[in-house]
Amino acid sequence: MLKTDKLTKKFKDTLAVDNVSLELRKGESVGLLGPNGAGKSTAIAMISTLLKPSSGDVRIHGKSVLKDPGDMRRVLGVVPQKIALYEELSAYENLKFFGRLYGLSGKKLEQRIGYVLDLVGLSDRKKELVKHYSGGMQRRVNLAAAMMHEPEVLIMDEPTVGIDPQSRNHLLETIRRLNHEEGMTVLYTSHYMEEVEKLCDRVYIMDRGKVIAEGTKEELKAILSDQETVWIEFDQSYPELFKKLSEIEGVQHADVEERSLKLMIPKGMRLLASLFHEAERHGAQVTNVHVQTPTLEDVFLRLTGRTLRD
Amino acid sequence: MKAVFLLQWRRFYRQPLLVLAMFVLTIIFVSVSAAGGEEEPVFVPVYTESLKQEQVLEWVERLNAEKQFAFKWMQPSEARSYVAEGDVPQAVELMEADYRLLVGREDPARLALDSMLRRVYSEELRLEDAAQEVPEIRELMDSALSDPALQLSAASLQGKGEADKLQLLFGMTLFFVIYTIMFSLVRIVDEKRTGTWNRMILSPVRKWQMYLGHLSFSFLIGFSQIALIFLLFRYAFGFEMGDRFWLLLAIAACYTFSIVALGLMIISLIAKPQQLSAVIPIVATGMAMVGGAFWPIELVTNEILLTVSKVLPITYGLEALTSVAVYGNGLQSVMMPLAMLLGFGGICMAIAIRLLEWRSVS
Ligand SMILES: Nc1ncnc2c1ncn2[C@@H]1O[C@H](COP(=O)(O)OP(=O)(O)OP(=O)(O)O)[C@@H](O)[C@H]1O
Ligand SMILES: [Mg+2]
Repeated sequence: MLKTDKLTKKFKDTLAVDNVSLELRKGESVGLLGPNGAGKSTAIAMISTLLKPSSGDVRIHGKSVLKDPGDMRRVLGVVPQKIALYEELSAYENLKFFGRLYGLSGKKLEQRIGYVLDLVGLSDRKKELVKHYSGGMQRRVNLAAAMMHEPEVLIMDEPTVGIDPQSRNHLLETIRRLNHEEGMTVLYTSHYMEEVEKLCDRVYIMDRGKVIAEGTKEELKAILSDQETVWIEFDQSYPELFKKLSEIEGVQHADVEERSLKLMIPKGMRLLASLFHEAERHGAQVTNVHVQTPTLEDVFLRLTGRTLRD
Repeated sequence: MKAVFLLQWRRFYRQPLLVLAMFVLTIIFVSVSAAGGEEEPVFVPVYTESLKQEQVLEWVERLNAEKQFAFKWMQPSEARSYVAEGDVPQAVELMEADYRLLVGREDPARLALDSMLRRVYSEELRLEDAAQEVPEIRELMDSALSDPALQLSAASLQGKGEADKLQLLFGMTLFFVIYTIMFSLVRIVDEKRTGTWNRMILSPVRKWQMYLGHLSFSFLIGFSQIALIFLLFRYAFGFEMGDRFWLLLAIAACYTFSIVALGLMIISLIAKPQQLSAVIPIVATGMAMVGGAFWPIELVTNEILLTVSKVLPITYGLEALTSVAVYGNGLQSVMMPLAMLLGFGGICMAIAIRLLEWRSVS
């Protein structure tokens, strides 16, 4: 139902979004994954008609939004990355205003406010001023405000940055429910792998303005089907040993941490023998070895040579 | 638009401090300065070594007519001891066609005293010269003064203190309301920064309705501030403002419109909140100084400043208010300043709209 076609945005000398083609089907939950500065927010601004593309197009139900953004705006609920609320007002007052913008009034307005407050679990604190809320609660109102006009498609730009785990779980659960139980179409942007893995049917991975991979979680992980990740923990730090292990022939990538090491190796490579041999030689004690199935994080690492949080 | 307008009142209700501060500051400044203006005139001893009693009395009466100082005739020895003991900074010795200051210590008022004495003396001497040729000149002068050709001089002669107080009230009111209006318009910039503006853009509400909601709030809050202050000073403090109060309100409305438009133009030029909070006080204070809100515009002699004042709304606002409240003029006589205010507002608005549209396209 929603499609972007070679969407491109150029700011003076940065190519923020480069030839991005996405598609959202009805009822789907799609993740847009990418590190800081990948161009996620810029892409979303263009999709939601707030920013004109340098080239390319955005279509809703087959109609371009460039000439008439009205159709898109009616369908879309946008949860911005920054909290966009009147913080000197209460949650209730904020929602009332955003509802009125869409022509809601009277009983219908009150009902809708009640519904979205329930949805984000803030009914009993609706009279408090937004500025007195915790970061997590503000995020929840930020979502609620985008839900006032019963949108068909919900676009969220990193709705969970900087909030406590409890609020985060609540928010993720809310989104999952909206998608599963109410059939809402969701585009979810994040640089947290776990969230996207948990929430989304399909994923686009963006880096430096480009979509570098797309598909269902399984399809993406299949990229790594010929790989394994071995995670080794030691009793203490052994920089020299870690360096040595990283340089073993066949190791494709190494991620060194304080007392542990993550090595990406081809499936079937016989690493363990040399691992224990080297550890013995350095007098190091291996406390834990774990062979992992690949995560999206590993996919990103493989595709870009960097971790998402770099 | 209604939703946007009503929201601003809600926000005002939650955060009224800034506007109330401007309101209270106006009242404090006006009442403190107006009270200061009613101080007793400074006492100045007068003595003579050469003049006759009736001549001295005539001079003292003439000098006291100026109301600036209180001159009192006394014996030379008494006057000298006043000065010698430091009770007064100076005394005046009157002579036939001249005067002398007996100075005890430095005094900031001396310059004013000296220039006033010089003026009264030279006027009097000129009159005496003229009387040599036309003996009845004094009678002519007196009858001319009691039956003036111009209403203006009559009004300003009888109520000089009142006029000063009104000038002060109008100046301060028009000055402080600039802050109220402009800071309420800064909310537009803030909304663009926090993202609530984008939320509105995504809603069915049109952009012009969003602006209109903000502008009408800023207009109303500014106008209410002026109207309330005028009402307060008229009824609670007993300021005499003439019988055309409705016309004063009409002028206030035109002035408010021009400042709202100016504010919109400024925020269309400067988009950063921090820069705005520096620019607004500069604009407000600069306009008020040059436009005559802090002191009568008649005191400004610099050509450049006078020319600049001709394009400032505050100049015309003050001119129109003074004309109606002090000189009792009607709508006819303030048409020109009102037209200037509306024209100024219209131009600013046009520029602002062009700039704002232009920016939203890029
Ligand atoms: N208005 C702008 N003017 C110039 N450059 C911009 C503008 N907006 C974004 N950029 C640049 O475009 C690139 C992509 O930015 P964008 O905000 O879309 O990234 P993002 O994926 O949302 O990152 P984050 O995870 O930090 O939110 C960045 O390099 C950024 O500096
Ligand atoms: Mg972003």
